[in-house]
Amino acid sequence: MKLVSRLRVLLAALLFSLAGHAAAQNNLEINTPAISALQKSMQQRHAQLAPLYASGALGLARDGTVALRDASSVPLAQRGQINALVSAENADRAALYREIARANGRPEWEADVRATFAQRWIDRAQKGWWVQGAGGWVQK
Amino acid sequence: MHSAPRLALCAMLLAITSACVTINIYFPAAAAEKAADRIIDEVWQLRDNAGQPARPEGAAQ
Amino acid sequence: MATATCPPASSRPDFFRFVACCLAALALLSAAGGAAARALVLDFERLEHPAFVVHDLELTLEEGGAAARLRIGALEAGGRRIEGLRLQCPRFRLDADQLQCAGGRLDVAGLSGVAVELDARLAARSGTLRLELGDGEALRLNAAADGVLRAELRGVEVARLGALAPLLAGWQPAGRIDGQVEHRGARAAGRSRFDLNWREGGFSSTDGLQAAEGIALRLHGQVDGRAGGWDWQAALEWSAGEAYLHPLYLTAGPRAQLRGRLAGERLRIDEATLELDGVERVAGQGEYDLAAGRLHSGGFGIARADLAVVGPRYLAPLLAPAQAEGLRFAGHVSAGLRVEDGRLAELDAAFEQAGIGLEGGELAFGPVDGALPWRAEQATEAVLSVGGGRWQKLALGAFDLHARLHGPQVAVERVRIPLLDGALVFDDLHLRHGADGWHGSGGAVVEPISMPLLTEAVGLPPMAGVLSASLPGMQVSPGEIVLDGALVISVFGGYLQATELRVLEPFGVASHLYADIDARNLDLAQLTDTFSFGSISGQVDVGLRGLELARWKPVRFDARVASSPGRYPRRISQRAVQNIGALGGAGAVAAIQRSLLGFFESFGYREIGISCVLRDGVCLMGGLEGAGGAGGGYALVRGGGIPALNVIGYNRRVDWFELVDRLQRVTESNASPVVR
Repeated sequence: MKLVSRLRVLLAALLFSLAGHAAAQNNLEINTPAISALQKSMQQRHAQLAPLYASGALGLARDGTVALRDASSVPLAQRGQINALVSAENADRAALYREIARANGRPEWEADVRATFAQRWIDRAQKGWWVQGAGGWVQK
Repeated sequence: MHSAPRLALCAMLLAITSACVTINIYFPAAAAEKAADRIIDEVWQLRDNAGQPARPEGAAQ
Repeated sequence: MATATCPPASSRPDFFRFVACCLAALALLSAAGGAAARALVLDFERLEHPAFVVHDLELTLEEGGAAARLRIGALEAGGRRIEGLRLQCPRFRLDADQLQCAGGRLDVAGLSGVAVELDARLAARSGTLRLELGDGEALRLNAAADGVLRAELRGVEVARLGALAPLLAGWQPAGRIDGQVEHRGARAAGRSRFDLNWREGGFSSTDGLQAAEGIALRLHGQVDGRAGGWDWQAALEWSAGEAYLHPLYLTAGPRAQLRGRLAGERLRIDEATLELDGVERVAGQGEYDLAAGRLHSGGFGIARADLAVVGPRYLAPLLAPAQAEGLRFAGHVSAGLRVEDGRLAELDAAFEQAGIGLEGGELAFGPVDGALPWRAEQATEAVLSVGGGRWQKLALGAFDLHARLHGPQVAVERVRIPLLDGALVFDDLHLRHGADGWHGSGGAVVEPISMPLLTEAVGLPPMAGVLSASLPGMQVSPGEIVLDGALVISVFGGYLQATELRVLEPFGVASHLYADIDARNLDLAQLTDTFSFGSISGQVDVGLRGLELARWKPVRFDARVASSPGRYPRRISQRAVQNIGALGGAGAVAAIQRSLLGFFESFGYREIGISCVLRDGVCLMGGLEGAGGAGGGYALVRGGGIPALNVIGYNRRVDWFELVDRLQRVTESNASPVVR
């Protein structure tokens, strides 16, 4: 009798822990120092990128990266710097997708994380920004 | 006498915990979207933007 | 009115048939005379010439042939088609010897009101055609009786070329061209000279990735027709303006000399030399496919390029755009490249006192001497002699690197990089460059490095001991280096072992390192002495699980320090007790038996235990297991012997940075121990 009740308690505890797992599923771990560092780096860079998104020089690509789509509006001498900026942003983004997958113990999720982000960057882009759809670049 | 139920319990525990692990194999798309949105908010300063237009008014008062 | 229709010419038609037909029609017009035949219309459905085809040509002769109107439905020449061409000649003359159009006006799609003056001597096959396009734009074509053809251009808008050549239309060419082109001799065996100046020039691809502005460029040279092709030579002087050819930004200055042959769509460059700032000499040759618009094959050599100049301008944007601004170059490189079928097939580089490093000196190599041959389809071996390097605060010694290269693969059997009195050795390194970065494996060994030297080099208090590592299973993938094996430091009379080492995102802001660290039997006397923390005798074991270092600072771990099992003297000095108290902040450590504190230099203890779970900048503190003090405190030191002393902490959540700060202050202030 005593054993049965103990079993019952244990089962309840297990169920709770299961619920805990399920709850954990509702959130991906993104509070790691590496992710914060990337987030901060990208946030700082955004001040430089935002006017370039607005002018159409840069667009949000389908693969979760930033692409140099029309540099015509940028002075020639600065196009190289913008290319460097884009490369740095894309390096951070690649690291971010890897880190999120890693932080959740699933490095193989990287491609899924990237795809999710690609969609969300595009969905949440401001009006006037260029985003890459299946048929090419479109302005939001 | 005591050990048999304990073994059964252990087996069940194992079965359930291993089941727990398999749940995670599927990519949690909704959770990922939420995580992406939180990071995008931060990077693009979207939550602050909403508060920004109010600031000059506050400064004027 | 009379209408003469010349039939479509069938096989191998001739332009002269057209002229003959015109003359016949004109004869008809003058023979007919009278008011009824004051005008004559000649209508050609199709007129073919090896160089051009004319569709729907209508020539109207008016006023008895003294004025003329020409309408061409479409003109096809050189693969291009011009539609809707109209020419009006108010003063027209056509007879057996002369073709004249004075005060004429030409209208064609995209171009209207062009003033035309034509004066041709048919028998002598000479003449002049002047086209004034307005706004200082003029084109003069002259055929002399001796067979010399001459074209003079004055301020001709390059944009017109865009309208004429669809290939150029996407490039938005701009600027004006002045100059002349002269041709003498038969068409296919003659010689042309040209001297053209492009000013205020520019172009831009639609995405702006290939563009130029404010260009002043002179192109001069000659072309000789020979054996069905053209031998050419040219000199190019770029004297003003700037260009962006993705990802390179270029400014005026370069001059080039070129020589080659053009046959069909193949442009062959037999010799090209380029004067470029920072490079002693650039020479090349190649074959350019005009139809495909790409370099079919080619090669060029670069002699003694000054890396300090060409590195930031050309190498960094091409090889590492994200780090471009932080890269520093030095020394010289000479190189030879071969391109085949539009792809790099061979590269030979020779380094001379070359150096590369990150700004701030985090990582640097050089001077490097040696040769690096590379073939896309063949194995080669690179031999580089590296004079030294720097990694963070550590100076790396000189080493030789023998690497086997094969396409995207690099293999290094063994490289030994001296580090202080030891070395960093890599064995059986196999790396492969894929689309997403480097993948590979290998092994690493750290040959014993003495701790006194290492601690001195990195600016830590001197420690005795030796560091060594054996990491046989190293795995490299993009953004991750996993080191399977152990790094062992014998230090403080015990040893410290780091396993599960992983370096993540080594080249970015998120660079961090994971490890599990286990230390056994660290002698507290040495440890506390080293860090001037008072004096504690005894031994501790330390477990640091899931340690994560970001930029060499711990950001996450589960740490546990506990007295090692065994028999050894266990005393703690008054100073150390005070310091532990100071670490806890004001009033954080309680239950110190103050009354005794003044009388004794040191106290006995039974065990020491402290744990810290670091998360998000907060250290969750704990003490000895099962030895919690009253009121939720936790015992850090459990007393024993005489006099006995318990140290109990109450603050469970401690700000990590504050703790580090306090620790630093405590150790600094105790640099010279104070005895009361």
